[in-house]
Amino acid sequence: MTAWSYYIATLTVYFGVDVLAALSVNLQFGFAGVVNFGFIVFQSVGAYIAAVVVLGPSSGTFQQYVFGARLPFGVALLLATAAGAVLSLAVGLFSLRNIRSDYQAAILLIISLIATQVVQGYVPLFNGSNGITGVPRPFGSLPLSLQGYEWAYAGWVLLFCAVAYALVTWLSRSPWGRALRAMRDQEDAAAALGLNVTALRLQVFVIGGAIAGLSGGLLVEYIGAWSPDAWGYAETFVIFTSIFVGGVGNYRGAVLGVLLVPIVFLELPRFLPQVGYPGLMDSMEWIAIGAIWMLCLYVRPQGILPERRNRARRASGKAAIPAEPAEQMEPA
Amino acid sequence: MSLLAARGVVVAYGGVRAVDGVSLDLEPGESLGLIGPNGAGKSSFLGALGGQIRLAEGSIALEGHEVGRLPAFKRARRGITRTFQMTSEFARMTVFENLVTAGHGAEGAALARVVLRRRETRRAERDVADRAWAVLDRFEMTHAADFYGAELSGGQRRLVEIMRCLMREPKVLLLDEPMVGVAPHLVAKLTSDLRSIQDDGIALVIVEHALEVVQDLCGRVIVMALGRPIATGTFDEVVADPEVQAAYVG
Repeated sequence: MTAWSYYIATLTVYFGVDVLAALSVNLQFGFAGVVNFGFIVFQSVGAYIAAVVVLGPSSGTFQQYVFGARLPFGVALLLATAAGAVLSLAVGLFSLRNIRSDYQAAILLIISLIATQVVQGYVPLFNGSNGITGVPRPFGSLPLSLQGYEWAYAGWVLLFCAVAYALVTWLSRSPWGRALRAMRDQEDAAAALGLNVTALRLQVFVIGGAIAGLSGGLLVEYIGAWSPDAWGYAETFVIFTSIFVGGVGNYRGAVLGVLLVPIVFLELPRFLPQVGYPGLMDSMEWIAIGAIWMLCLYVRPQGILPERRNRARRASGKAAIPAEPAEQMEPA
Repeated sequence: MSLLAARGVVVAYGGVRAVDGVSLDLEPGESLGLIGPNGAGKSSFLGALGGQIRLAEGSIALEGHEVGRLPAFKRARRGITRTFQMTSEFARMTVFENLVTAGHGAEGAALARVVLRRRETRRAERDVADRAWAVLDRFEMTHAADFYGAELSGGQRRLVEIMRCLMREPKVLLLDEPMVGVAPHLVAKLTSDLRSIQDDGIALVIVEHALEVVQDLCGRVIVMALGRPIATGTFDEVVADPEVQAAYVG
């Protein structure tokens, strides 16, 4: 029972981190149409920053890194969030201006690949391929059992999820969120109505980047280590698959997608008998993730919970609209 | 001073001058037709006026202020808005949301305002919604308020585009082939809607192949061929012009 409790608490932490990631990607892609194939870079910068600022100065022997400052974990989370936002701003200024959206996606994917190479190759930055280890866990002074600690941390992560969920939902329902959807649906028409689409794209990219940075910070403070192995570009596609399964442009769908894809689907093989050589099933998972994404696009591109139709109401509160389309003009 | 004055507008794609020295003057409430055979440069000229296509040479002034080098969104904020040859409704938003988005414009949708001035935003939401209902009532589209763009007929889509532009309270409305995809029996209704918009004092520039619509709506017509204006005048004057007849017949 203890092992199960520990396992579920751990899964809950990962679920929460992935929910934050999915909220970020759904805001950017589902509402604004920004295809951030470099998502994992912004989560990773949050993780690295949160890791190095809570560690003391680098000794240069055991592991090398920048910014060692022994800051409290709360400050580290703030800095992780800020790092995600600042890097998003820098990357966004370069990649999101006057370029077609499919090219933007390609640029962001390339940036993701370059970032991995840079971090691996330039060891003094974040200790290269070996990554950062020994990151102190937060709430260490609390008198909690090992299991109690796991659940406390899971609650801490879910608290951030709730705040982020409320924030993105509120923003998406606002006139700003509507402008994002207009840009997503018809960029030229949105601009012809006075909307500065470059600024909108940049704003949503930075907000999404901040949430990504926060998610990275929360994860590294939990697992205590971060290395380039943890943030391959494929991780980004797991989040995208979650959103396509759950529902593009629907935050509840994004949460459901996370539950189904990175949690249920990726955990399921643990409970199945091993087939073939060791590692075969892990490799098959990645193939299956791609297959699920493609299947979704063919069978139900709107996902399990599609974007909701926002019905209009007159000020009197009475719906003025019949529920079903009553064709007055001939269909196109 | 004209409401909109374009002088010697040139649009170039590489070495090809798609629009080669076209000028126009437009007064409030005036309706100007742009006609000509395919490839004449009409849509490119409209794009140059709206800011979708870069001006290579020439100038465009709105109420005496040069706007020819401004991006589309800044021209829209000053009062030039447009519809597109391919309908451009926001397909995954309802008709009502299409209108409300336009009604808020950039100022109402500004992130800083949404976050910092919430009471003002709520008030603006109510005001814009009232305006959207009024526009829907005016164009007899109230029944379609909750339809997605993708669920509309061709004529309805055109109307949504036009209503959306009106929510911006424009000074100049550029219409690129507004009758394409509209069922024949609805062309008259859309024409009458456009006339009522003109009566509000909004200037229209209409690119249209349906010449009867141009004849019906436009007091003045510019005929273009191979990027250049070949005739200007009333509809009857230009169609009687031998050069225009030659351009159309080949």
